Amino acid sequence: MRNLLNFLSKYNNLLVFILLQIIAIYLLSTANDYHNTQMVKGIRRLTIGIEKRISNARTYFQLREISRLMAVENSSLRTRLERLSGETEKPFFSVTDTVFNQQYTFTHAEVINNSVNRQKNFFTIDRGRRQGMLPDMAVTEGDHIAGIIVGCSDNYSVVMSLLNLDFRVSARLRSTGYFGSMTWEGRDPYHVVLSEIPQHVTFGVGDTVETTGYSTIFPEGIIIGTVSGFEKTGGDFYRIDVAISTDFRRLRHVTVVGNLMKEEQLELENQYQ
Amino acid sequence: MINRIIRLGLIFIILLLLQVLFFNNIQFSGYVNPYVYIMFILLLPVEIPAWLLLILSFLTGAVMDLFSGTLGMHASATLVAGFVRPYVLRITSPRDGYEAGANPSMLVYGLKWFLIYASLIIFIHHLVLFYIEVFRFTDFFRTLLRVILSFVFSLSFIVLLEYIRKGK
Repeated sequence: MRNLLNFLSKYNNLLVFILLQIIAIYLLSTANDYHNTQMVKGIRRLTIGIEKRISNARTYFQLREISRLMAVENSSLRTRLERLSGETEKPFFSVTDTVFNQQYTFTHAEVINNSVNRQKNFFTIDRGRRQGMLPDMAVTEGDHIAGIIVGCSDNYSVVMSLLNLDFRVSARLRSTGYFGSMTWEGRDPYHVVLSEIPQHVTFGVGDTVETTGYSTIFPEGIIIGTVSGFEKTGGDFYRIDVAISTDFRRLRHVTVVGNLMKEEQLELENQYQ
Repeated sequence: MINRIIRLGLIFIILLLLQVLFFNNIQFSGYVNPYVYIMFILLLPVEIPAWLLLILSFLTGAVMDLFSGTLGMHASATLVAGFVRPYVLRITSPRDGYEAGANPSMLVYGLKWFLIYASLIIFIHHLVLFYIEVFRFTDFFRTLLRVILSFVFSLSFIVLLEYIRKGK
């Protein structure tokens, strides 16, 4: 109480000033139309600014949901695109076939568990047998390689990551078309090695490395990364370092690619082996 | 004491009439609007309590508002002038301080002192007044020009009035 009184006696002039000034401004705003409008305008501008900020922040927190919806839409669009493409190449088709000319199916999935620091890395996605997942389906992040499904439960699938010593995929240099075998050597999550490229092939650092589509798992042209260095090894082959273009440390939305014609191709191939 | 109050009251009425009847009608190209009524705040005794000074300032401004139909505008500006007056007095105080019961007038402390003292208060008053009048910052420099021109005229008239008072 004493402190309050001290405060009041110390600042009483300021308080009188502020009080009277408030009265003056109140009179100013109520008695003069012009000043009133200006004040309302100013306050409105202030509140609009604040509201805009709040709505910006809200949108930011919704981005996760928005990006999920867009990924879902993307995979459904790619499925339709796949259905439509190739229509002109094959003149005969059966109209009753719901997947006519369609070779690949695309399903969106979200990564719910992931690792990059082991020698044999796997990640888990939130789609399983009930959603049509099967072992040996390919997993990509957009156009970039991610892994292969190795096991499914009803609602989840485990995917062998590209960053796994057991992972092998047939890959080629986009510029020349020469293909080799791609493996991960377990050093860091940013590089893989492409081997079996013959030494007469010319290429340079920065060339794109992509999948071939020979394996029945990955479609043709899924990007693995770019050449970051190479050396000649014994034999007549290059050993090419490839910088992975997928960032496995923040893998989140992936697309599962199923090959509808896999059975047919494998069956045919097995007859002659 | 009573004598003094009556004299200040007379000064107030004379300034009010001068302002309302004469100076409010000076519209020199829209840039010059002298406000001499602020002289009343200048002439109040040095040792007047700050709260009384504030209330008198507010009332002076409010009366001016009533006559010019701009409620709150002059009250606000004059209140600011009354608020800064003690600080201005402290800054401009003569070497041996103010005499007890002295009026801060040119008569007592000379032209040079009065010019500095009056300039500071009048300028602050005009600055607040004109910016409250336009109430936006879009015409900032145009308003500043109005402040400066009106300030020069107000100061001139107030010094002139001080000379008339001195001669009397």
